[in-house]
Amino acid sequence: MLPDELILASVNEQYPCRELQIRQLSTLYNHAFPSPPSLVVHGSEATGKTSVVKAILEANKLPFAFVNSRECITGRHLLERTIAACLDALDASSDELIDRTPYVRCESISALSVHLQRLLEDHERLVLVFDAIDKQREAPPTLLPAMARFGEIIPNLSVIFIVALPRPRFLHTAGTPHLHFPPYSRDQSISILSTSPLPIFLEPIAEDIDYTEEEAEEDSAWLWTRYCAAIWDSIAKGAARDLVSFRGVCEKLWRPFVQPIIDGKFGTRDFSRLLIANRTLLQGEDALLESIVPKTVGGNQKLARVTHDLPYYSKYLLCAAYLASFNPPRQDQLYFMKNTERKRKKKGGAAGRAAKHRKIPRHLLNPSAFPLDRLLAILHAILPHDLPPTADIFTQIATLSSLRLLLRTGAAGGDVLDAGCKWRVNFGWEYVSALGRNVQLEMADYLASGGD
Amino acid sequence: MEHQKCYIYTPPTESEPPAKKRKVNESGLQASWRLREKTFQELWGQQEKRIQTVLDNANQTTLTSISNFVAKAAEQTEGSSKIPIGLIVAGPSIASHGTFFSQLSDRIVGESRTCFVSISSSECPNLKTLLSTLIKKATARRSLDEDDEGLITTSSRKGPRLLSYDLQLLYDYVQETGKVAVVIAFQDSEAFDGFLISEVASVLSAWKDRVPFVLLFGIGTSVENFHDKLPRSTLRNLQGEQFDVVQAEEILEKVFWTTVCDEDTSLRLGPSLAQMLLEAQKDHLQSVEAFVEAVKYAFMSHFFANPVSVFLYADLEFSEINEDHIEAIRRLPSFRKLAEELLAKNQPKELRSLLEDDGALFDFAVASITSGQQELVRMIQGIQVVDLIRSCISKTNRVSRSTLYVKAASGELHGSASLRELLLSVKKSPSDVLSNMLDVLIDSGIPNLPEAWVQIQEDLESLAGSTEKTLRSEHDIRNETLRTTVVAQKVELSKQKSTLSKNDSAYSKLLATFQSTLEAFFEECFARVGDMFLSEVLMYDVRGPHRATFAPKTRFAVERALSAPHDYLGCECCKSSSKGGEEDGLSSTQPPTAILYQLYLESGTLINVHDLWNAFHAIVAEDDEDDQSKSMALFQRALAELKYLGLIKASRKKTDHIAKLTWKGL
Repeated sequence: MLPDELILASVNEQYPCRELQIRQLSTLYNHAFPSPPSLVVHGSEATGKTSVVKAILEANKLPFAFVNSRECITGRHLLERTIAACLDALDASSDELIDRTPYVRCESISALSVHLQRLLEDHERLVLVFDAIDKQREAPPTLLPAMARFGEIIPNLSVIFIVALPRPRFLHTAGTPHLHFPPYSRDQSISILSTSPLPIFLEPIAEDIDYTEEEAEEDSAWLWTRYCAAIWDSIAKGAARDLVSFRGVCEKLWRPFVQPIIDGKFGTRDFSRLLIANRTLLQGEDALLESIVPKTVGGNQKLARVTHDLPYYSKYLLCAAYLASFNPPRQDQLYFMKNTERKRKKKGGAAGRAAKHRKIPRHLLNPSAFPLDRLLAILHAILPHDLPPTADIFTQIATLSSLRLLLRTGAAGGDVLDAGCKWRVNFGWEYVSALGRNVQLEMADYLASGGD
Repeated sequence: MEHQKCYIYTPPTESEPPAKKRKVNESGLQASWRLREKTFQELWGQQEKRIQTVLDNANQTTLTSISNFVAKAAEQTEGSSKIPIGLIVAGPSIASHGTFFSQLSDRIVGESRTCFVSISSSECPNLKTLLSTLIKKATARRSLDEDDEGLITTSSRKGPRLLSYDLQLLYDYVQETGKVAVVIAFQDSEAFDGFLISEVASVLSAWKDRVPFVLLFGIGTSVENFHDKLPRSTLRNLQGEQFDVVQAEEILEKVFWTTVCDEDTSLRLGPSLAQMLLEAQKDHLQSVEAFVEAVKYAFMSHFFANPVSVFLYADLEFSEINEDHIEAIRRLPSFRKLAEELLAKNQPKELRSLLEDDGALFDFAVASITSGQQELVRMIQGIQVVDLIRSCISKTNRVSRSTLYVKAASGELHGSASLRELLLSVKKSPSDVLSNMLDVLIDSGIPNLPEAWVQIQEDLESLAGSTEKTLRSEHDIRNETLRTTVVAQKVELSKQKSTLSKNDSAYSKLLATFQSTLEAFFEECFARVGDMFLSEVLMYDVRGPHRATFAPKTRFAVERALSAPHDYLGCECCKSSSKGGEEDGLSSTQPPTAILYQLYLESGTLINVHDLWNAFHAIVAEDDEDDQSKSMALFQRALAELKYLGLIKASRKKTDHIAKLTWKGL
């Protein structure tokens, strides 16, 4: 007996390009047949796994409990939420309410198993869906194999695991059916996006112009489809293949792309001319860079921002800290002693002789830790004038460490006052050389590797 | 009652002050301290109120834009899967973040039905505690109804109990109270681990469809730093705006100006102290709160330590002070200066009466306090005028009012190069600049401006009305042409004034009047400030106490105490040794820790403990060689103390050695 074609058609319309998966799921989960005890649904990000599973279960009117692992902080939390979701699902499917007192707590996976058995004694069936179960935080190692056996222990329960990438035998059972959701192809992606075109004109069209709303909509749809194809071929094919980021890129670039039409330079159907006029948009990578504060793509307008400057001595402290992190301590005499002539000789004529050991340049490695006294000593050496050792300097060190520009290494709860406590910088060469120039200090003069 | 294990405490019924209270000797100069304290309370009360108003108003625009953002985000919450996030760039002075966020909290909670939670890094080491703190703060739930496993019993829910970090609790709360947004503020975003923030963002975005979250991050360094911390998948879930808090320097400038500008201000910061405080702000820590504290400290030490300050008390009677105060005035440097002036003016009689007649001096002092006050107010007005004119003449680079104040109060501004330059550029300015300048000056509401200016403004208007061109002054460089003549194979350059039109010459005349009145005005404002009688009372200009209080040399003090204990102990026994031989400050009478520290200073990075002990024993032991036990005990205690101070630690490199950890003088 085949699944109800009517249901299939409606789900298919909602989620295009997933016919095969919808048909398979609908065959497995309907009222007529018993469902498999467990099923693994897998596929990469944004391939419609969760939505399709949910839609099929809803359409077939099966009672189901849905647990999203992203919301669960610990393994225990997942168990508690699971039992709560099951109770809610069963309450919703039948008229009478279940007495919840026996299910007050659920400490372990065994407790969950007992609860589920008791719960499903007088219910026909229940589908339990674990979404993104492979992303569960603090999951005990036995969690997945145990859950996979729920379906075997409890006859009227079937479990669906939604994962991104199933490792081989991650459930420790044989014969669990897998359902793969492949990523959308080029044509599929474009056809999905073209179902929801963005409008060209944001403002309602003035009455006196001979151009109706319907025409505008039609033009938008026409242009949007071609535009999406162009975006896919130029940008998204390489860097934004999944549907969500593809849509993101398309939406980001749409406004600057159609701006010439709004300005009246091109007509709505001049796609090829529009494409040539806007080719810089498609060549750049700006749209791919994620940023919290949305940047205007295309135009490089720069707003005058208020800059918050560090105090004078804080800058010097950071420079000194960088030097302390990236200069070897045994060379300190060479670089910072004021009474000795700098004896460093450039290795003249050593061009033909290659170094025996190729060493990684110091500035490419991690910053090394230094004690506080070395920092203070270097600070005194690089300052152009004397600095009285007041508490202000120590306050600044504390401030910089809470800004995470200086990090304390070693034990996290260690005592700051302990003289053995070591520090490390948490910024790079570009930042510190700009700081140094700000206070007229050429950092490269003091750096053992010369700053290149 | 110490013998009883417990007893009922009955507080003493009599209201007399306890016997051990510090005795204030109420004779001599101390007699006026009550009056002085009263004056302090009054004056500082007014001052504090003014400063608070400035601080409250400083961030109004930023606060408004943030609360608008929150309100907008709360409306648009449906549909978008991205969490709205506000990045508040608040500058590196962490101390002032707290005030800003509390203002923000008041603002946001006051304006809409939102719930505001502020989270700091110290209370949230991991995701679980962060979420439970968040829920606890948001729902204002007491921690009482949480059992040992972290389960919450709520009366409204039946069935499975919820864990304390379950956002379901927050969801229920939001449903119950009908909040439109849950605003979560991370005050010190730098201190949070990037991983933790991205975890929180992922959990919150999973709940976004049910609970309307808005995130606010306080940023000390830069937005780029914040970006670098987060993975791309997290950034995709966030979308927001950047807000800039007003720069600390700007607020400082405003606060400084309020402390000096007002007419009612009786006590002002002296030039050198003001200079020191402003420089400390620039060099070391930018925090307005610290500056306000320093000003308060200045007020306190002025009134509590300087008896003459009693003259600032508003209605002081001669009978309220004793002759010691009058005598104190006679010893002020400014009185000496006044005496010399009077002698130079050949008025010995007046001087004699001031010296001999207490009543006359009192009356004179009270009068000169009032007149000195007016002088200072005039000086402030002069600074305002300078600042306004500078802002009108665009090409001159701006000097802040605080710098001007420091210069003016020390008497340097009068006749200084910058003032002359200013007058010169006024001389050259064309008519549009002048009319703008006059508009600004007359609209500014500064009292006591020269009356001639209104007339000049009217004349200028009528003059400018007749032509469309901007009028140029005769000193304008555009009215000059260079003429080169070759005389006997030498090139001579000569400046030639082109002929002025009628209007231009009329304008030049107006300008000259303006310039001369301005010069006279400056003369009046700045000339007499430098050496004013009783300037010690009107201004507090002592830097020592501030240095000792606000920038103590902690490490230096410890090092000095250890290396030269006599400086602190002042005992007789060590005196001779420290005075006599500078080379060898060691003596057996010093505390053992100090002896050991001085030996420690002489050694290298690794110290052999046995050598140290031998040297120590040689100093400490007196005659009896054999009895080592006492000096050994002293040695061990001293060594333990040095270790406690963090100066040494056991070394793993060599046995029997200790490692030196600090160096003197850093």
